[in-house]
Amino acid sequence: MASESTRRDWQEGQEAALAHEEQKLREEVLLVDPRPRSEMNRMVLEAVQRITPGYIALLVVLGLITLVGLFFAWGYQMRWGMGVAGIRRPVFWGMYIANFVFWIGISHSGTFVSAILRVFKAEYSRPITRGAEMMTTFSLMVAGLFPLIHLGRTWRFYWMLPIPNQRELWPNFHSPLMWDMTAIFTYLTGSTLYLYLPLIPDFAMGRDHMTGWRQKLYRVLALGWRGTEEEWRHLMTAMKIFAFVIIPVMFSVHTIVSWDFAMTMKVGWRSSIFGPYFVVGAIFSGVSAVITMLIIARRSLKLHYFIRTEHLESLALLVLIFSFAWTYFFFNDFLVEWYGGERVGHEILTLQARGPAAPLWYGMLFFNILVPWATLWNKRIRRSPTALFLITLGVNIGMYLERVIIVTGFLQRNRMPFDWGEYNPSIVEMSIVVGSFAMFFFLYMLFTRILPYVPVWEVHEGQLTHRIVRFGRAVVTARTNVD
Amino acid sequence: MTKPKGEGEQHQWTMVIDLDKCTGCAACVTACYAENNVPVVGEEEVSMGRHMGWIRIERYWEGEYPDVRARFIPVLCQQCGKAPCEPVCPVFATYHSEVEHLNIQVYNRCIGTRFCANNCPYIARVFNWFAPDFPEPLHEQLNPDVTVRSRGIMEKCTFCIQRIRQVEEKAKMEERPIADGEVQPACAQACPTDAIIFGDLLDPNSKVAEVARSRRGFKLLEDLGTEPAVIYLKGGDIYGV
Amino acid sequence: MSNKGITRRQFLQGTAALGAAVVASGCTINLKGSEYLEPYVRAPEHALPGESVWYATTCRQCPAACGLLVRVHQGRAKKIEGNPLHPVNEGKVCARGQASLQVLYNPDRLRWPVKQRARGSRDFTGLHWNEALNALFEKITATDPQRIAFLGGEMPDSLLWIVEKFLAAIGAPPPVLYSTHYAWEGRRVLRAVNRTLFGKDRLPVYDLANADVVFSFGGGFLSTELSPVHYNRAFGRMRGRQDRGGPRGVVVHFEARLSQTGAPADRWIPILAGTEGLIALALGRLLLDMGLARNPAVRPFYAGVNVDEIAELVEVEVGRLVDLAKLFGEAERPLAIPGGVVAAHTGGFNAVLAVQLLNVLMDNLGQEGGLWLAPNPQVGGLKPETEPASLSEVQALVDRMKAGEVDLLLIDGSNPAYSLPATLGFPEALAQVDTVITFSHFVDETAVLADYVLPVHTPLESWGYQVVDNGTDRLTIACQQPVVQPYFDTRDMGDIFLFLAQAIDAAREVLPWQNMIEFMKSRVAVLQQLGMEGNFPLDNEADAWVAWRQFGGWWTAEPTWEAPQLVWQPSQATGVTAEFEGGTEYPLLFYPYESIALTDGRGANAPWLQELADPMTTGMWRTWIEINPETAKELGVKHDEVVKVISPYGEVEAIVYEYPAIHPHVVAMPLGQGHTDYGRYAAQRGANPLRLVGSKTVPTADDLAWLSVRVKIVPTGRKQKLPRLESTVGVDRAREIGFPG
Repeated sequence: MASESTRRDWQEGQEAALAHEEQKLREEVLLVDPRPRSEMNRMVLEAVQRITPGYIALLVVLGLITLVGLFFAWGYQMRWGMGVAGIRRPVFWGMYIANFVFWIGISHSGTFVSAILRVFKAEYSRPITRGAEMMTTFSLMVAGLFPLIHLGRTWRFYWMLPIPNQRELWPNFHSPLMWDMTAIFTYLTGSTLYLYLPLIPDFAMGRDHMTGWRQKLYRVLALGWRGTEEEWRHLMTAMKIFAFVIIPVMFSVHTIVSWDFAMTMKVGWRSSIFGPYFVVGAIFSGVSAVITMLIIARRSLKLHYFIRTEHLESLALLVLIFSFAWTYFFFNDFLVEWYGGERVGHEILTLQARGPAAPLWYGMLFFNILVPWATLWNKRIRRSPTALFLITLGVNIGMYLERVIIVTGFLQRNRMPFDWGEYNPSIVEMSIVVGSFAMFFFLYMLFTRILPYVPVWEVHEGQLTHRIVRFGRAVVTARTNVD
Repeated sequence: MTKPKGEGEQHQWTMVIDLDKCTGCAACVTACYAENNVPVVGEEEVSMGRHMGWIRIERYWEGEYPDVRARFIPVLCQQCGKAPCEPVCPVFATYHSEVEHLNIQVYNRCIGTRFCANNCPYIARVFNWFAPDFPEPLHEQLNPDVTVRSRGIMEKCTFCIQRIRQVEEKAKMEERPIADGEVQPACAQACPTDAIIFGDLLDPNSKVAEVARSRRGFKLLEDLGTEPAVIYLKGGDIYGV
Repeated sequence: MSNKGITRRQFLQGTAALGAAVVASGCTINLKGSEYLEPYVRAPEHALPGESVWYATTCRQCPAACGLLVRVHQGRAKKIEGNPLHPVNEGKVCARGQASLQVLYNPDRLRWPVKQRARGSRDFTGLHWNEALNALFEKITATDPQRIAFLGGEMPDSLLWIVEKFLAAIGAPPPVLYSTHYAWEGRRVLRAVNRTLFGKDRLPVYDLANADVVFSFGGGFLSTELSPVHYNRAFGRMRGRQDRGGPRGVVVHFEARLSQTGAPADRWIPILAGTEGLIALALGRLLLDMGLARNPAVRPFYAGVNVDEIAELVEVEVGRLVDLAKLFGEAERPLAIPGGVVAAHTGGFNAVLAVQLLNVLMDNLGQEGGLWLAPNPQVGGLKPETEPASLSEVQALVDRMKAGEVDLLLIDGSNPAYSLPATLGFPEALAQVDTVITFSHFVDETAVLADYVLPVHTPLESWGYQVVDNGTDRLTIACQQPVVQPYFDTRDMGDIFLFLAQAIDAAREVLPWQNMIEFMKSRVAVLQQLGMEGNFPLDNEADAWVAWRQFGGWWTAEPTWEAPQLVWQPSQATGVTAEFEGGTEYPLLFYPYESIALTDGRGANAPWLQELADPMTTGMWRTWIEINPETAKELGVKHDEVVKVISPYGEVEAIVYEYPAIHPHVVAMPLGQGHTDYGRYAAQRGANPLRLVGSKTVPTADDLAWLSVRVKIVPTGRKQKLPRLESTVGVDRAREIGFPG
């Protein structure tokens, strides 16, 4: 009998251990930790309505910074001339273009996290796609402003558009700037639609559960969604098409941005590796920015149920991988320039390593290589939101420095040593840069209270198709393919 | 050199700058300011590197004291045959004129992307960071044949295209070919040592074609393949002392 | 009006007559405050809408008298071009000449006559010209003629001629002419040396175009001195020979600082400032010893010359001197040119003599590619008798002023409060003068110390002529005519004095002309009397009058320069080196030089010239001090640091420029800045190095010895970026690694 009881004990123990495993897994993995749909709906809708005085105050402050720092300074610059910025010969491009490249980089987050992970069926990404897609759209909006701010005659920007005019002039499609404009416009349109499509069922959910102005808004935005079989089929097809199409667009956008530099005759810029280098850099900074924003959003919107440590950890691993990739490209570019022995190239490298730009350069290496490599291999650090917050913020500082160096640093040296130059951003430039950050945060914050931050139906769908199964003594998640 | 398209007389306007003759006197610089309404920007702007001159005399040092020498190289837009500035302009504000074989800068098309300036290996382009200031009555000296550029616009040496056009039109009206030396940009006209020689390279008897054949000739950053229309003649040296 | 005095009423009638004369002569009187619409029918002369006209005239930015063609469009001067027919500049023009436009259209020009409430107050009240001329007339007639003084600068010959006749007629002392520029180019010394060697008081003309080995001693015949456009032209020809199958002209430059003239030379031999004469002595001695001298007649001069000693003193190896002597001596057409700096010290006369003797030794006097004497300008009485004053004469005038012996001081074409050495005490002396009237275009430093400023026409609005005294092989009477109508309510200086002369009997007899046009017309007759073949026939006076203006001058058809004949009895060379003031506490020789843009400061109010990058430093808008990088290191100063430059006479502040091509014991500063007034572009920027220079003179020539002080450099610890065109980093880097190639 002893054996009987021992076996039972053992079985109970086994059962308890497995239950414990299951419990742990459930805590860990959102998709096997289902809650009633109504509760999830409630959590998401509560988050949308979480409007505290602190939130309002912050929004107002950000709005003011945007108005004064960005738009007033921009107006001032238009009134008096580009000279109020610190750019000069031969550094004809400055912080504006660096900022442009940076924000385009950030915009890669949404597409990467959402579309690529969706295409490759990385199921864990379900609750975080929305936050990432919002980043894409808003950072693109901010990025799109910079080429305009940068124009000597902003009020003539429409001359770049292919519209019939009495001058009988067509834009010059030989110019990488035209490719740029086309790519960004396509990307902005595509990513906005891609943000909007999965929002439709959520809008419908909000319409059905809320009152007041939101309900009116959602009624319009839901486009009369009723959740029929037919509607779902259309939505799923559309999303699949978009997910596939937006990926090459994303790659093309940053490649083309890199061509603004790589297609020129400038030593240091002209490089065949700039395309992938920029794309990798963009994803690196974009994914980092997603982590940063998720940590903030999770806390402020109280979405701990949806956004879990597993998400942060997986994304942190991506950051580490892209840090490796970025380093590889950076080293490649550096080595080729250094080994090639072109004098001007050497001068640029010297400027970075020993010149006035050295702090920026070493800062970039510190934040982009040293910090991620030293920390993110460690699972505990990857699971610590505070540490991740700081590390990913650092990555974006590093990537920002990279852009400043590539744009403004490289321009300081050229083939005519008599005409080398230096560059310091002016107050107006810095004000516009700060204003652009304020504008991004303003838009993002504003829309977290307008758009449901988590796609409930996608999480729900995920939970329906995932369950915990036991293989012998192993406890794993299983997925039923509903496609 | 591609065969020019279009009708009418063709010219390959070319400038030869003899570095052996250049004394760095800067007469060309002032002549250019006067002819082309180039604004004076003032001390602060100049300190920032926003000098607006279309031609500048670059002075390089060679050697160490006491065997040090100064070399002058007047640098202006090289009117490249394959100009890096041209393809990058999104609005055709800079483009190649097939008739004059010049790089044309159309001020009123320019929207100020400054891409052309970044892509110019000669740093020959200058930007109007602010609106120009000609306090009354300094404006009276402005050349009526040349636009006064406003803020936000790129500009550069034009080989004094207004003078080229004037002579072309005059010759056309008088139904005769353009004589050698008839077109003189302001810098060449002023140059006291005749270090700057201007003319039509397609006319084999022109002065410029003659000196362009000099063994001392070279082009600036020739290896870039920009095919400049400015030919420099190397400075000479003596040996034995 | 038979007596010398004149009643006020008569004078007022005369004033009205002048007004009428001015209208008749095609000028308008634009009374202050009155405005009227200009009808189309009264278009300016020769102005066709949309068409440009070119007027020939003469440049007045320096005494070289280059011929100009001014493009005038709708009655406004647009562009200054060289007159291709003119024998001085042959169609070319320098930066300073082109900036004449910015004198004419300078926003800070005085627009009408003014009276200053109290000297130095800058509180000016506008006057009508009637009032101003009345005041001038009353002061002149009321003052004892002996107590009138006229201080001039580089006045055109026509005006000087009128003024000296006027002053002589009323019994006043002749005008005193002083110009910093004259001192810097060593004009008096060059003439004194020519007087001594060749017995002719003329300026030299060097046939640079045909020389094949040129030894240039200091200074700047390509920058500002004598006739820079002419010599640039010649330099181009000299170098251009290689393209025509001839030998390439070679230049070796001896100077403490690699100047703009030295930069295009093939070799620069750095020597201590003030030792140029020693080098010339050594080379002469070597030429004689090596049997390369073609005219050894002056051998006694070199009797005491010890080449080894000199080689040690100037820190040039004997072997190198021998090589140089060989280069010079074996050349087919060698030529030695002394620059202004050679003349600018206490040994200046002897040093210039030593350099000119190299030409004598090589027997290139009056030869192709050799030394010539300028055509005699004293023909026909067109050239005024007054010559630029010696420093002693200026000192004497200042002393008279200090002693209260001058009651009325008239100043024209000169800014003595800025340009006279501080030790002369001109501003203090001015305080002792009852009435000071200047005829400046601007409120300059002198105008601020004056009672009246009567703004006269700028050169492009004025009549005049200039007998060219160097820089050409033929006698040239350059004609200056107004190319535009007067822009402001100003008067032609000549008209003013001719008008005053009408009211004074004694003066009217020698100056019978109503206005400058009549006067200029009358000069044609003088040209006729010369009886020389020229660029246009002089038979018909009316035609000649037109042609004179159209050609921008009259010049002889054939060269009239003269081959110098040696009349000098050689004596042993003495004292060719400079003596410097300031003891051991002042370790560095101070070398102020004329800026190629601002000259001696006259160009400082032209924005083009302020923003014209100096060819050597590429600096602009400020005053810098050129220090050898080694010396700078010893002093612990770097580029763009502000230092005090202290001489025994004063101190100024300047921005350090580490100049790689300057003798380590010499520091150099450009003239031109440091104005307290003189318009928005000039005032309150940079420093005036003239404040550091004493008032020693060059013996024999009695000119200012401006190379005679030592200075010390004291860092202030402040930094100020020198506006410059170059990237110092880039240029240094290019020198280190040798690119762009």
